[in-house]
Amino acid sequence: MSVSVVLVKILEFMFVAGWVGSVIVLLLTGYEDVGTLLDRKDDNSH
Amino acid sequence: MSSTSNAPTGNNRVRIVVATSVMLTFISYWRAAAVILNDLGSSAFYAGGIAEQAIGKSAPWFVLGVMLFAFAVRAVYVESCSMFVRGGVYRVVKEALGGTLAKLSVSALMFDYILTGPVSGVSAGQYIAGLINDTIAIADARGWVPAAIHHMFHGTPQVGVNATAVLFAVAVTLYFWWQNVKGIEESSEKALWVMQITTVMVVMLLGWSLFTLLKVGGHLPPFPTLANIHYSDESLGFWKHSKLPHMFGILGLIIGFGHSVLAMSGEESLAQVYRELAHPKLKNLKRTAIVIGVYSFVFTGLVSLLAVMLIPDGVRMKVYSDNLIAGLAMNMVGPQVVRLAFRAFVVVVGFLILSGAVNTAIVGSNGVLNRVSEDGVLADWFRRPHKKYGTTYRIINLIVGLQLFTIIVSWGNIYTLGEAYAFGVVWSFVFKTISMLVLRYRYKGERNWKVPPNLHLFGVEIPIGLASVGMVLLSTAIVNLFTKSVATVSGLIFSVVFFAIFTFSERVNRRKHAHNAAQMKEQFQLQLAETVERETVGIRPGNVLVPVRDYNTLNHLRWALERTDTHEQDVVVVTARISQFGSAAYGLATEQIFSDYEQTLFTRAVSVAESVGKRISLLVVPARDPWSAIAQTAHNLESSTVVSGLSSKMTTAEQAFALGSAWEAIPEPKRQFLLQIVQPDGIVDTFRIGPHTPTMKNEDVELLHRLWLNVTREPGLENVHHHDILTEALTRFASDYGAHDHENIVKELRRHGAEAGPLPARRIADQVHTVQPGPARSDRDDGHRTDGSPGPTGDGSE
Repeated sequence: MSVSVVLVKILEFMFVAGWVGSVIVLLLTGYEDVGTLLDRKDDNSH
Repeated sequence: MSSTSNAPTGNNRVRIVVATSVMLTFISYWRAAAVILNDLGSSAFYAGGIAEQAIGKSAPWFVLGVMLFAFAVRAVYVESCSMFVRGGVYRVVKEALGGTLAKLSVSALMFDYILTGPVSGVSAGQYIAGLINDTIAIADARGWVPAAIHHMFHGTPQVGVNATAVLFAVAVTLYFWWQNVKGIEESSEKALWVMQITTVMVVMLLGWSLFTLLKVGGHLPPFPTLANIHYSDESLGFWKHSKLPHMFGILGLIIGFGHSVLAMSGEESLAQVYRELAHPKLKNLKRTAIVIGVYSFVFTGLVSLLAVMLIPDGVRMKVYSDNLIAGLAMNMVGPQVVRLAFRAFVVVVGFLILSGAVNTAIVGSNGVLNRVSEDGVLADWFRRPHKKYGTTYRIINLIVGLQLFTIIVSWGNIYTLGEAYAFGVVWSFVFKTISMLVLRYRYKGERNWKVPPNLHLFGVEIPIGLASVGMVLLSTAIVNLFTKSVATVSGLIFSVVFFAIFTFSERVNRRKHAHNAAQMKEQFQLQLAETVERETVGIRPGNVLVPVRDYNTLNHLRWALERTDTHEQDVVVVTARISQFGSAAYGLATEQIFSDYEQTLFTRAVSVAESVGKRISLLVVPARDPWSAIAQTAHNLESSTVVSGLSSKMTTAEQAFALGSAWEAIPEPKRQFLLQIVQPDGIVDTFRIGPHTPTMKNEDVELLHRLWLNVTREPGLENVHHHDILTEALTRFASDYGAHDHENIVKELRRHGAEAGPLPARRIADQVHTVQPGPARSDRDDGHRTDGSPGPTGDGSE
């Protein structure tokens, strides 16, 4: 395997692993966001 | 804390209170979202077209992926803002990785900011040129174009799309250059208005598109597999002749993602508006992030998807690649004239939001360069204010010069501009996220929120969420280096040149600042204070506040000092260090707020005070706009009078109106004060700021007296006073105004207003009377005026 192929493999791993983790971020923050939106306390939407 | 004065202290130095917090007017999360969406939302007009040109018909999936991923990037910004109130790229990278990488990251950010202008200006020009050409083509098809013109153009007359786009972009850039040199104020009101109009367009666009889909049907774009990604010649850059992009499916996804990443440009604005968000800040920041996330996902993401579904393949890239939303408008079901009218509406909205982005680019770049300049990374020469307008015009000239150069060199090629733009966008995110990762271990201060999830193993925190976002960004940025040759070459040249300028300037400045600092230490003693309070400055209530800006025009300071007994009334000389919209996101160190310019300014102010033989207190306040700074400082210091010079661009009434408006924005309870504007010829206009007893006309006083005479003749009303008559009249007026006679009253008042002539200041700042130049008084006189003119205390002003 050439260096460029190894580099590409590393980049691919980073991208896929990063996306898996980012989806978890999206799910967790999304759940929190719903709570933030429903919480009307201290609302200043003027 | 003692008073600051020019009187020799123990060590013969003048103490200056330096407020470190920027004086801001706080905004709601809706307004903050509107400000960000003016930048972020504008990419919907070109991102889809650029991505499809690079990777083919499956591009909308990548754009949707980017918009989804943008939610995770926003989480990084929320965490950084929960640590630093001014959590922009420069601050975070400097904190985590040091000055060198901070300079490099800010170079990438500058590349992003500077390119925002040309991309947006050219895109708006493309939409306008497209509309002109299509309108002429439709008119020609109906035989409305005279044969002579048809003959002259050898067919349907058409304007050159790229040339028109370049002309338009140059014109808009020059317009906003002049506006910025003059110092226009960014308003969240305007941003909200633009977003309201944009929302109307988006709702119409989505509704009509869905209706069209129901009526004529449509197919989803091909899913993003290696077989469906069709690279253009330019989209592989240095890998044009390599087999790598065709060998690996996931690499294809990264390439596609990298070509779509510019859709989330504008995220940095989140850190910039955080400083100005109202309480509760973090919760409102999250709300802002949700609003901009959902909005940009729907607008940029769905529009790209619908464009592929509704615009036929034969014309989508051939005709509408640079104005995709216009293509969408023209391919709905409905009469042609209605579609053309809607397209015109799209162009108007595009013009508003994209032109706004051109301005945002200038303001943002100016803010960032001001910030680094204040940090000693850019020569002070750049920060010297404009003689007439007080703006950092040299920085603005530099930015606009670079933007005009980019527009002309690209010659309206939105694809090239967009590709280059993505370089700055993705690398500034990479620097930011890596820095945040480093700060997870190095930063020990307050942190109110963290990107989830975080795993704890053997007492060590593993930031899985943050690392994941970082890995996606870093892998994309590295692949972009190979696939975007133009962006890589231009981005690297730009970043290296800027980095070299920053590094060189820093070295020169370090030597110069060392000399200045030594000089300053001899003359001034800086005292830091988070906020401006009377006790901090060490002055008494009822003081006279004298705002100064240009050290060549300090006549009003002399006027105020000559007329004030400083044994009884303190004189506070204040200068507002104006932080532009962008720079509010960054921390300000003492030497940034109190630069050599302020040093020169205060040295002159002290000389004036010494020549009159009076004491003064010195104060520096960072602020977004000078009027808010003066109004808030006068309020906080319990000043009775503000003595100002005449503005070079406003009349005295306009100045009073501006200060009155800023005063209105201060929350209750607030105190009133007098504003005295000293003109170069010595004439002084005096205004009351805040609610006050109005200046009554003689005939009104006579009418009141006559009414009082008549009323007191009534049995049992002998003890009625003049003010009772006024109370009764006002109570009746309030009742009539709120009920049946509203229209008539408004009509009558309009008539009175028209008779009085235009004077905007009347609305909130009532002019008292004009004072002619007169003799001064010294500290040693008895305080009684002989000339009848009021001093800065405002005595005798009614």
